[in-house]
Amino acid sequence: MTIHYPIRQTAQLLTLLSMLMIGSSSHAFEALITNERSGTVIHVDAQGQTTEVVPICQRPRGMVRGTASNEVLIACSDDHKVVIYDRIKRQVVREITPVPGAMNLTIDPMTDRLLVTNEGAAKASVFRLSTLELIAELPTGLEPDGIAITENGSQIFVASENSGLVHVFDGVTYESRGTISTNLRPRRIALRNDTLWVSTEMGSRVEIFDINTLAKINEILFAPKGFRPEQMTPVDILFNEAADEAYIALGSANHVAVVDLNTLAINKYILVGRRAWGLGLSPDRSTLIVLNGLSDDFTLIDLATKRPRLTKRAGLIPHSVEVFE
Amino acid sequence: MKLLTLCILSVSSILNMAFAATLHIAVITATAFENPNRGKSFAGIQMRPERSVQRAVELALFESATSFSAFGIEAQLEVIDLDKDRPLIEQIEQIHPEALVLVDTPKSEFIELARLFHELNRITINVRHPDVSLRDQLCLPTLYHTIPSDRMYFDALSQFLIYRGWRKVLIVHGPTESDKQRTDILKQSLEKFGANISEIREFTLSHHPDDRDKNKPEFLTGGASYDVVAVIDSAFDFGRYMQYSTRRARPVVGDVGLMPRGWHRTLERYGAPQLNERFQTFDPDRPLSAREALSDAEFAAWSAVKLIANTLNAIDADAAVIQPRQILSHPEAQVDLYKGTRGSIRTWNHQLRQPILLTSGDAVIAVAPMPKFLHPKHYVDTLGLDEPESSCRLN
Repeated sequence: MTIHYPIRQTAQLLTLLSMLMIGSSSHAFEALITNERSGTVIHVDAQGQTTEVVPICQRPRGMVRGTASNEVLIACSDDHKVVIYDRIKRQVVREITPVPGAMNLTIDPMTDRLLVTNEGAAKASVFRLSTLELIAELPTGLEPDGIAITENGSQIFVASENSGLVHVFDGVTYESRGTISTNLRPRRIALRNDTLWVSTEMGSRVEIFDINTLAKINEILFAPKGFRPEQMTPVDILFNEAADEAYIALGSANHVAVVDLNTLAINKYILVGRRAWGLGLSPDRSTLIVLNGLSDDFTLIDLATKRPRLTKRAGLIPHSVEVFE
Repeated sequence: MKLLTLCILSVSSILNMAFAATLHIAVITATAFENPNRGKSFAGIQMRPERSVQRAVELALFESATSFSAFGIEAQLEVIDLDKDRPLIEQIEQIHPEALVLVDTPKSEFIELARLFHELNRITINVRHPDVSLRDQLCLPTLYHTIPSDRMYFDALSQFLIYRGWRKVLIVHGPTESDKQRTDILKQSLEKFGANISEIREFTLSHHPDDRDKNKPEFLTGGASYDVVAVIDSAFDFGRYMQYSTRRARPVVGDVGLMPRGWHRTLERYGAPQLNERFQTFDPDRPLSAREALSDAEFAAWSAVKLIANTLNAIDADAAVIQPRQILSHPEAQVDLYKGTRGSIRTWNHQLRQPILLTSGDAVIAVAPMPKFLHPKHYVDTLGLDEPESSCRLN
């Protein structure tokens, strides 16, 4: 009997210590993660505990925050629809159908628009966000993935994975304003000031373009220790302006790169799980959440120390993450 | 001789540029030279579809239309089915000197054509034959291989066995010359990665009572200790009866069971479902069923054309004629293979480097290289003859 005491005491001490450590480095948040293969959304807290598993649809992939603080929009690829999920009610409250091969999405609250890429249909669809009516379709090359709209709503960018192009459209008339030729398999696009960052998954780099001239102005190459150049398969790009940093998930290279936004130098590579691709930032900017698409887990990184804090199981093929207070 | 010229125009008309350059592509088939039982097993049972690679080339051109349009390139595809009664040289001379020539013929005609094209200084692509001898001995500077070599397939399989801890391997092979050559390659692969070959046994169709232990799976796999049975059966004949009939309850790999493949219809990752769906539906006049996918030869033909399309950024595409030789020898030549790692050309033997899929009938179980098999220079160069091992030195 007596031998239980030291163990229990040690356990209590460890729990106390870990609570103190977590408490010192991060604040509470709630992350939502779409799991492509499981067909679920999971709710995860700041300790990495999954608090809720909600079946959503077939192959939920891209996810974006809605205009209401309790809502996210989720692209359901195999169900050819977009659903609006209420994270408080823990249920789907509205649906947009049909949205063929819905893959990724973004919203522009200023102009009341939702933009979705239609993977199998070589187009992007534009919806009125308030009424959910379809207002435009934009023809693209094969396998459109990343989509972005400038803050003033004047320009739309869509990456075509197969064609190695980013299509540029007028945000008002929806007319084509040309294309940007990229390296192999452009995936995600991220806008920052007057620049467009494009991750080319098979080109193993992030390319940076001027959104006015559409000319390439820079590129970022990666070299974490122990991996070969062709294992760099970058997908998500996330800016943390407060820290002057960008985070880039390096896919099969199993690392996240921390990029200095002023010099574009890579300050650190952080080892995570297999095929790191989805990224999310906690609202207090203390924690980076990395989805590992091949090891079916996620890693929480403490951004103060740039060290992985913990890795926990997600559903099968975690795809996208959004983080709330 | 059937001659067909096809112009691929922009499908999406996103860009409207005048064509500045032409890319010539030729596919050579040899229907008259094919074994009438190609792809068939005993009693005429069709084991695999044996289509010409033409459809896969058309798919690659369909996919490339947007980028060809952006670069002002017009593609011309010519398909030549060889006539048995006319000299080969006469039939191939009229192909454009800068054409990318994809050869989809039986092996003996392939070797003859590869030599003829070499004498004419024309670029040829092997899309069908995995024979190591074509890389390591024939070894022509004008010849490229986009289908994996047997050594790549078996290296992938051997890595998988080691990864799973199935180190003791019983090899059972068929009686043909091809079976024996491929068994030698498998042996080299297994030895390279540290597997133990418990025994090598040969299957026979002989009905002599003394040979019973060589034609019944239970006897062929009896009296030995092994973790796994590797079957080499190029004709896809006896090997089909090995699974579930081995003396010991052990998995079967090789030409049956877990099979290394260049492509598979059930790959879920890396955009592969998109490619599979497109192959079935891109030609509305000739749709394929949802179970059909690119064969390894078709995937190899598709890869060759896509490598040209994917490398246009790196070359001067302003010339009137696109020169495949310039692209294939370019250090930045690359292709998105939908297998998670881009493909490129090995300079020493002109083999397209690529991941290999380890497949059961209905799933991709793993994608090689397997974890922990590291190469100092290139991620996938643990698969196939590496530079120091290659007798062919084209670089």
